[in-house]
Amino acid sequence: MGDWFTVRTWASDFSQMVADNTIGKTSFSGYSDTLAAVITETIMAVNVFAIIMGTILVLLWIERKFFARIMDRRGATMAIRSLWVGEGGEHVDWYDELPFGAGKPIRWLNGLLNNTFGSSSKYETVDRVNDRGYHGIWFLLPGLIQNVADGMKFMTKEWMVPAKADKFIFEVAPFLIITSTVMIFAFIPLSSEIYSANPELSLLFLMAIFGIAPLGVFFAGWSSNNKYTLLGGIRSAAQLTAYEIPLLVTVLSVAVLSGSLNIIEIVEFQISSGSWNLFLLPLGAALFLITMVAEVERIPFDMPEAEAELVEGWWTEYGGMRWGLMFASEYLRSYAACLLFALFFLGGWEMPFGDSITNIIPNQDLILGSVGIGLIGLAIGMRSEYPALLAPIPLVFMSILPPVAWLLFKSWVLFALFVWIRASFHRIRTDQILEFGWRWLLPLSLVNLGIAFWLRLSAWEGGEWPLFVPGLITAIALVVFVILGIDEDTSELEGRTRPYSVYTGEVGPASPRSHEK
Amino acid sequence: MGPQHPMTHGLWTLKVKVDGETVVDTIPDLGYIHRGVEKICESRDFTKITTYCDRLCYASANTWSHSYIYAAEDLLEVEVPERAEYIRVIAVELQRIASHLMWLGAFCPDIGNLTAFVWCLREREMMLDLLQELGGSRMHYNFPRIGGVKRDLPIGFAMRARAKIKLFLDRIQETEQLLDESTVFLVRTQGVGYAKPEEMVNWGVTGPNVRAGGVNYDVRWAHPYSVYDQLDWDVSVERPSIKGADSYDRYRVRVDEMRQSALMCLDALNKIPGGAETHYSEGDPMIISKAKERAEEGKTGFHHFEDSRGESMFYMVGGGDQRGKHPYRISIRSPMFLTIPYASKCMIGYKVADIPAIMGSFDPCIGETDR
Repeated sequence: MGDWFTVRTWASDFSQMVADNTIGKTSFSGYSDTLAAVITETIMAVNVFAIIMGTILVLLWIERKFFARIMDRRGATMAIRSLWVGEGGEHVDWYDELPFGAGKPIRWLNGLLNNTFGSSSKYETVDRVNDRGYHGIWFLLPGLIQNVADGMKFMTKEWMVPAKADKFIFEVAPFLIITSTVMIFAFIPLSSEIYSANPELSLLFLMAIFGIAPLGVFFAGWSSNNKYTLLGGIRSAAQLTAYEIPLLVTVLSVAVLSGSLNIIEIVEFQISSGSWNLFLLPLGAALFLITMVAEVERIPFDMPEAEAELVEGWWTEYGGMRWGLMFASEYLRSYAACLLFALFFLGGWEMPFGDSITNIIPNQDLILGSVGIGLIGLAIGMRSEYPALLAPIPLVFMSILPPVAWLLFKSWVLFALFVWIRASFHRIRTDQILEFGWRWLLPLSLVNLGIAFWLRLSAWEGGEWPLFVPGLITAIALVVFVILGIDEDTSELEGRTRPYSVYTGEVGPASPRSHEK
Repeated sequence: MGPQHPMTHGLWTLKVKVDGETVVDTIPDLGYIHRGVEKICESRDFTKITTYCDRLCYASANTWSHSYIYAAEDLLEVEVPERAEYIRVIAVELQRIASHLMWLGAFCPDIGNLTAFVWCLREREMMLDLLQELGGSRMHYNFPRIGGVKRDLPIGFAMRARAKIKLFLDRIQETEQLLDESTVFLVRTQGVGYAKPEEMVNWGVTGPNVRAGGVNYDVRWAHPYSVYDQLDWDVSVERPSIKGADSYDRYRVRVDEMRQSALMCLDALNKIPGGAETHYSEGDPMIISKAKERAEEGKTGFHHFEDSRGESMFYMVGGGDQRGKHPYRISIRSPMFLTIPYASKCMIGYKVADIPAIMGSFDPCIGETDR
């Protein structure tokens, strides 16, 4: 199935029409193509920005909800909703106090929202406070727009600069971090038709821009004139050398395998060659995941902002909207990391098994393809417990999803993995990540590069991959994963001894009753 | 670092001299919340001191009030019915579990994991519910009385306590797996903050910290009071490496101790004698009226008690006619007051990032330290 969501074509058609009908009819008609290009680029940049900024809420939502679920803490942060739902379905009636009945529309809206979505529980607010459980309706996606409320709070806070800080650099650092983070998205294609810039070496540009923000972190840490921030900034700089090189070598292996430094071509290669890079470079995928977690400074690699010993690290002295924007840029970097993983290893915007489905269905026309998948779904549905007629609906819906939705969905799933990592690990020490980076990540990334070279030069003969190559590699990777995943410490855990302990002999009877046993 | 710093777990200052990220020297600075508890106690009735002792430690209130009560009973020569002793043991051991859970919950965010924190607080909630049934409050219970306890076990308490403790034993294993099977946790806690057993004994460190160093000293076993010698339990002692006890040892010994306390509670619930004798027969007012005769001038009452953090001692001098119902002097021995200086010394030579991992593992509580 082709990409029917050809936003870029629509935009260029539209801007060409606009340019032809305005400037094209004047004496400057020679510039109409230039104007059209400018309008197209503007529309696309706004598009990409809108998509990313609109869906970043989903990311933050995953962070909150999935994390809370792992921690067995059913929390719904419902600041916005609490504006309209009060105790026992009663409303907060401040609007009734307004003169001349000015609050009547608000009362009407409140009533409407309450009647439609409100909970009938008599102690709604109390329940929410005590139990922190959500007693409403799941499809309201409780908490999704909490971050809007957070943003409003940040904007109303005062912006303070410490008296002895280096004011110029203190102000520059957030701008450096935020602008370089937003610039990353200029080079990330959301589908073959949705991107704002596509230079020939977009991969190179992107990794270069990714590396600017740690510089801003270092600036921020130094200029705050605070010991904690300075330590945080220096940690960030030290950490940078440890993971940036393995990261770049891993990215290089992807480029080698796909034969291009252009991200769109990397994805197109994965689609056309019939196998995602994940199945060809599982080691590279693992390395990329680890180094990207370090790059976006999340647990277990968040030493620069270790709140236990460095209060908040380099963030300590920042507040207000600058802090809010830096926090947002932190999540934007996580988002970029997830998108890049999806682009490099998960086939980008390709629907899972999309090519197999198009192979099965001879007519690749969109509608007929959907109907074909719908029939398959109907066949599945008839054999299951689902109502037979409803079964094909999700499949038809899936098949007509625009590719950008698949990319975003993949990156959300990856972000859930990031959250999972955050929930289950502790923070490691600076010297430990340096050791880990130099002793393990760098050699492994070189091995991975070698594998990529071998695959590209020897195993690939043009066209599609022979099926056994990704199959064999994936099988080997799974076996290694299972072997590494088997917990060899179980017996030691039972015996309450420790791997690195040096046993010094008996310490005498351990209990008042041990001699009886 | 401090007095307001996430590492401190209270209100105190640790002055740290660093060379790069390596700690060169540390000086602890205590006394921010000194309230003069000992002096206040001199002007209060014997029965009214309990509430103050509750407030010595916010995480482990019950153990401190019981500690006082035993010393007061020693001074006033009061006999306690056996059932009351069992109830006290149950209350103290539940409090010990809650306190250690609070410690584990505070220790894990120190080294970066929030999940264990929430899990531990979730399980602590069950213990607090049980203690609330006993004392009527969630934090400062004022549960023990001179000569007994405030009230008998509520109806159905044993059933609920058994169910919750069994659930706790299941869940603590889950938390343990989250930590013990995580390499990152092991590399952060193993090999940092070595505390030598002989040094710890010399400095006066007690409780789980010294048991982590292989020193088999638990007041409940070494000098059994109450009914601890009738219960089935083990002292949790770690076998440390030749360098001493590290943060991981201190973590292990506390987790083991939580298990032992849970088993002890179950055992006490089985062995508790029947009857409604939960109080000294003549009741509180009678004790106070007899205090003048019983707490003669110069007579001393003393008890050492296994607190959640070490050996707490109360030393009381009676005032006779001159002081009436008030003690002449009360002296409190706080285990953490002796542990914190030694813990600060343990950090020298490690990284800045290890400070929370070491200090947190000693379980500081500033309320009792500053008194």
